[in-house]
Amino acid sequence: MIFDEFFDVIVIGGGHAGCEAASASARLGANTALLTLNLDLIGQMSCNPAIGGIGKGHLVREIDALGGIMGRVIDRTGIQFRLLNRSRGPAVRAPRAQADRTLYRIEMRRTLEGTPNLCLRQGLVTSLLMEGGRVLGVELQDARRMGAKAVVVATGTFLNGRIHTGRQTYEGGRAGEPASVEFAEALKRLGLRVGRLKTGTPPRLDGRTIDWEAFEPQPPDERAVPFSFSTDHIRQQQLNCHLAYTNESVHAAIRANLHESPLYSGKITSIGPRYCPSIEDKVVKFPEKTRHQLFIEPEGYATNEVYLNGFSTSLPAQLQQELVSLIPGFERTQIIRPGYAIEYDFVDPKELSPFLETARLKGLFLAGQINGTTGYEEAACQGLLAGINAALGSLGRPLFRLNRRGSYIGVLVDDLITHGVDEPYRMFTSRSEYRLALRHDNADERLEPYGRELGLVGDSEWERFNQRRARLARASALLKECRLRRSDERYSICRELTGQELGDSLTLAELALRPRIDAELVMSLMPSSASSEFSIGDLETALADHLYAGYLGSQTAGLRRLNQHDALNIPQGFSFRTVGSLSHEIVERLERARPESFGQARQIPGMTPAALSTLLVHLTGSQSISGASQR
Amino acid sequence: MAAQTDTIVALSTPPGRSGIGVIRISGPDSLHILRTLVSAESYNPTPNLMRLKSLIDPNSAETLDEALVCFFKAPHSFNGEDVAELHCHGSPVLLRTIIDLILKLGARLADPGEFSLRAVTNGRLKLTEAEAIRDLIDAQTDTALRQATRQLKGEISNRLRPAKENLLETIVRLESSLEFVEDDLPAVQHQATIDSLLGLARDLSRLRSTFAAGKLLHDGIRVAFVGRPNVGKSSLFNSLVGHERAIVTEIPGTTRDTLTESIAVSGVPVLLIDTAGIRNSSDEIESIGVARARREAADADLLIVVVDGSEYLREEDQLVLAEVSDIRHIVALNKSDLPTFSTATFDGRVGADPNCSAVMSVSAKSEAGLESLRAAILEPFANGSAHSEGLLITNARHHDLLVRSIEAIASSAQLLEDFASEEIVLVGLHSALRYLGEITGETTTEEILGQIFSTFCIGK
Ligand SMILES: Nc1nc2c(ncn2[C@@H]2O[C@H](COP(=O)(O)OP(=O)(O)OP(=O)(O)O)[C@@H](O)[C@H]2O)c(=O)[nH]1
Ligand SMILES: [Mg+2]
Repeated sequence: MIFDEFFDVIVIGGGHAGCEAASASARLGANTALLTLNLDLIGQMSCNPAIGGIGKGHLVREIDALGGIMGRVIDRTGIQFRLLNRSRGPAVRAPRAQADRTLYRIEMRRTLEGTPNLCLRQGLVTSLLMEGGRVLGVELQDARRMGAKAVVVATGTFLNGRIHTGRQTYEGGRAGEPASVEFAEALKRLGLRVGRLKTGTPPRLDGRTIDWEAFEPQPPDERAVPFSFSTDHIRQQQLNCHLAYTNESVHAAIRANLHESPLYSGKITSIGPRYCPSIEDKVVKFPEKTRHQLFIEPEGYATNEVYLNGFSTSLPAQLQQELVSLIPGFERTQIIRPGYAIEYDFVDPKELSPFLETARLKGLFLAGQINGTTGYEEAACQGLLAGINAALGSLGRPLFRLNRRGSYIGVLVDDLITHGVDEPYRMFTSRSEYRLALRHDNADERLEPYGRELGLVGDSEWERFNQRRARLARASALLKECRLRRSDERYSICRELTGQELGDSLTLAELALRPRIDAELVMSLMPSSASSEFSIGDLETALADHLYAGYLGSQTAGLRRLNQHDALNIPQGFSFRTVGSLSHEIVERLERARPESFGQARQIPGMTPAALSTLLVHLTGSQSISGASQR
Repeated sequence: MAAQTDTIVALSTPPGRSGIGVIRISGPDSLHILRTLVSAESYNPTPNLMRLKSLIDPNSAETLDEALVCFFKAPHSFNGEDVAELHCHGSPVLLRTIIDLILKLGARLADPGEFSLRAVTNGRLKLTEAEAIRDLIDAQTDTALRQATRQLKGEISNRLRPAKENLLETIVRLESSLEFVEDDLPAVQHQATIDSLLGLARDLSRLRSTFAAGKLLHDGIRVAFVGRPNVGKSSLFNSLVGHERAIVTEIPGTTRDTLTESIAVSGVPVLLIDTAGIRNSSDEIESIGVARARREAADADLLIVVVDGSEYLREEDQLVLAEVSDIRHIVALNKSDLPTFSTATFDGRVGADPNCSAVMSVSAKSEAGLESLRAAILEPFANGSAHSEGLLITNARHHDLLVRSIEAIASSAQLLEDFASEEIVLVGLHSALRYLGEITGETTTEEILGQIFSTFCIGK
């Protein structure tokens, strides 16, 4: 086949998955092209202008630790940073930031343009080129042919995208952008199982027409916690968000017009995310609530546009305007862009390997919303993993995977490929069985060595990492050395604060386990030299390690009996029919799900204990015990 | 894979009556547990050698049994792990006590076939040999047992459902407060949550205690007839057995040696034991018989004290009744066919004596009251509807899982009292849910999330 251009790796799509994929692939040394419909919209935040949150913030920290770019870009373009769950334990705290939508895009493009081995190309992909079960490249609408050893598809909501507002529906990948119809058909022709999902966005308002006095401001954190382990401080100016509430008259108007909503008129049948319901859904499903909370979020420094988070809707544009005006403070407010719902195709992620490669076509990787997830962070981490593996594969290096134990990314991939999705998949900390071990602030400890080994973590970051490790070790040694004694002047303060007896003397490590003792207080009890040796952030990490040490055991104990054999590999191409005495139905289930490990097999719905025992006996008997290759 | 395993225990002889029962412990804690049982921290058994040892309950310092113990050191055991075997006397009650003790010492009950699976994992068994085990596992799950297990599972699931829902609700509240800080959700009520968890632990404890009785039902109930000579023990024994198994004469002291025969009452195996009439005798053989009768009485799960209701209550009757006062028993007033029969002496006994579950009028001769007697045998164990075939395997596992979930819930409640953060409290609650899930079916994260989204309006 004759190609106009040839690359090691082609990434289709310039969203959050595509950007990470292209960046990682190029930096691993693969000659990479990023193909997108519109180069000006690289790194576009198509929904809310924010990154992070609980679960999602964890993912960004992990992306950063592995050498991804999302954390650095948001650190430079975030306009409001907040660490969520400050009053809870460290495992469930996570950073979140509002972004300047435009700056984010510019910074992302600048980052990609500064990446060696990476070429940006504009164009619409219409089909995949292949031969003998291997991908060869892509063909564009303008008949250009591009060859590649591996292709990452990260097309977001564009596959057969259909936008709904009121009774109107039209093709589109995002408001104002075309859908990818031919390519969607091309994927179906491959035999990939395709389903349909739905998501939605709220209206954007003109900030000049809002009576700001009517809303309660939500200020940023005083000490902004960055996403990237390589960011010391957030330098840019920080802005407020505001809280707003719907009211009964808004609800009444929604109820009176439900027939106008494509969700309720039967136009939209596909499933949307339950944790991101439209305002119509909120009003219908929770009739007892007299108000629903909304967030007024700035879209950037240089724009008046604001995002009305919590008011996602697909009602007719004119009606959206009327509804918004019913909220005190929004009486004069004008909608700049109406909200809408979008339906799009996704590919059943059970088709994927843990490396995010399709089973049907070698060299074809899928990442992001196309796999049924929602959210920039979920997309980005898949992009990173797919980009890494596309590059590794094209360079002839062994592929890279993450397991559930060590990262939320591992949880996400495992959930997707084991269970598939019925609704857009979003990360929650409760999805992990190892929540206490997977903290946002120890993502570096968990993953940076892999990033380094792969070649994505540069010398200066690695140096920082090792320095931080040394500081943490020092902090944790001091925690065990320093004691608080009855004779100390701070003793009585601590006793009052905790409301507990403290004995004659105790180490700071012991003290820190008591209620209401925070890092700042512990720091003040240490020798004054301590604060020059490590930061409050370092101390918080050391304290968190210490706090959970005792519970990690009980967390695993409950799981162990279930998971003892989970790491056991099921070799690729393993024939379940040869196991014998498995029922037809079970064999079919196994063949459909293609579990890669006993753990995945265990979670396939409908597996009986007898079938699992049989499989386990067969696996342990027929392969060496060291066959478990999970990292 | 570093075979990081826990320690498991199981009865490796078939459940039910047998001369000896072999308890097998396998895993890293085997030696430690063995040392605790023989009450010698420094006990260093020579591997592969049988020794006679007293097994002692570390809590009460009471000797449980004289057992032959043998230790096999890893990797030189049949499955490649540290294995301890205890060859105990066969009483199910005793075996159950010892296994319970071992569970408390940190082992968990083995799943079916698990000892052998470990052997495969450790490269001790070849696949062909393992196929045989698989057949065994299949056999266990494929036959009537499966039927029974399934029924039982449904029954227990039904009983556990409210508790599990209750637990899930607490988890959902705590989880939502962690995951959705930005949504305006109702605050978690601290004390109410603690109370609800403690209530749940109590509730599960009640369930647990009924299962203990259910387990006895599967193992079989050991029922001994006792009483002074000539009251009709052997006659009643024969009536229940259905044929003339024991010799019956009008001569007091007919029965010398104990006789056993098993019957089924509503599907539950019952081992009937006829014993010699208890009295002070100068006859050497009879004295030995009486001593045996007393031992059987002590070892039985239930006694049927036979009294001749057609006669006045003799001193010998009083003696027997005094001896059994701390053992669960039924009083059978026999010979109700005779005109002089009267129940007067025993009116009110059932309420007065907590160990006496029934006083009944029967006649071995006319067979009157025999049906009631049969029912009365199960009554103290039945606890409603708990008796069913196949109770043992599943039930022992269930018992173990219930104990674990109760512990996990109680410790989470304690953590809440100590103001631990929710994510720590949730570790125990998720474990408990998983344990209960092993009985009733797993609750997936998806379901938990589903419940969160249907309970609270989430969504920024
Ligand atoms: N009328 C009447 N006679 C009975 C009944 N049950 C037993 N007998 C008679 O009582 C006598 C003693 O019966 P056994 O069954 O041998 O009594 P036992 O309690 O086993 O006596 P030992 O073995 O000597 O301790 C026999 O003559 C029986 O026929 C009954 O229900 N009614
Ligand atoms: Mg007799």
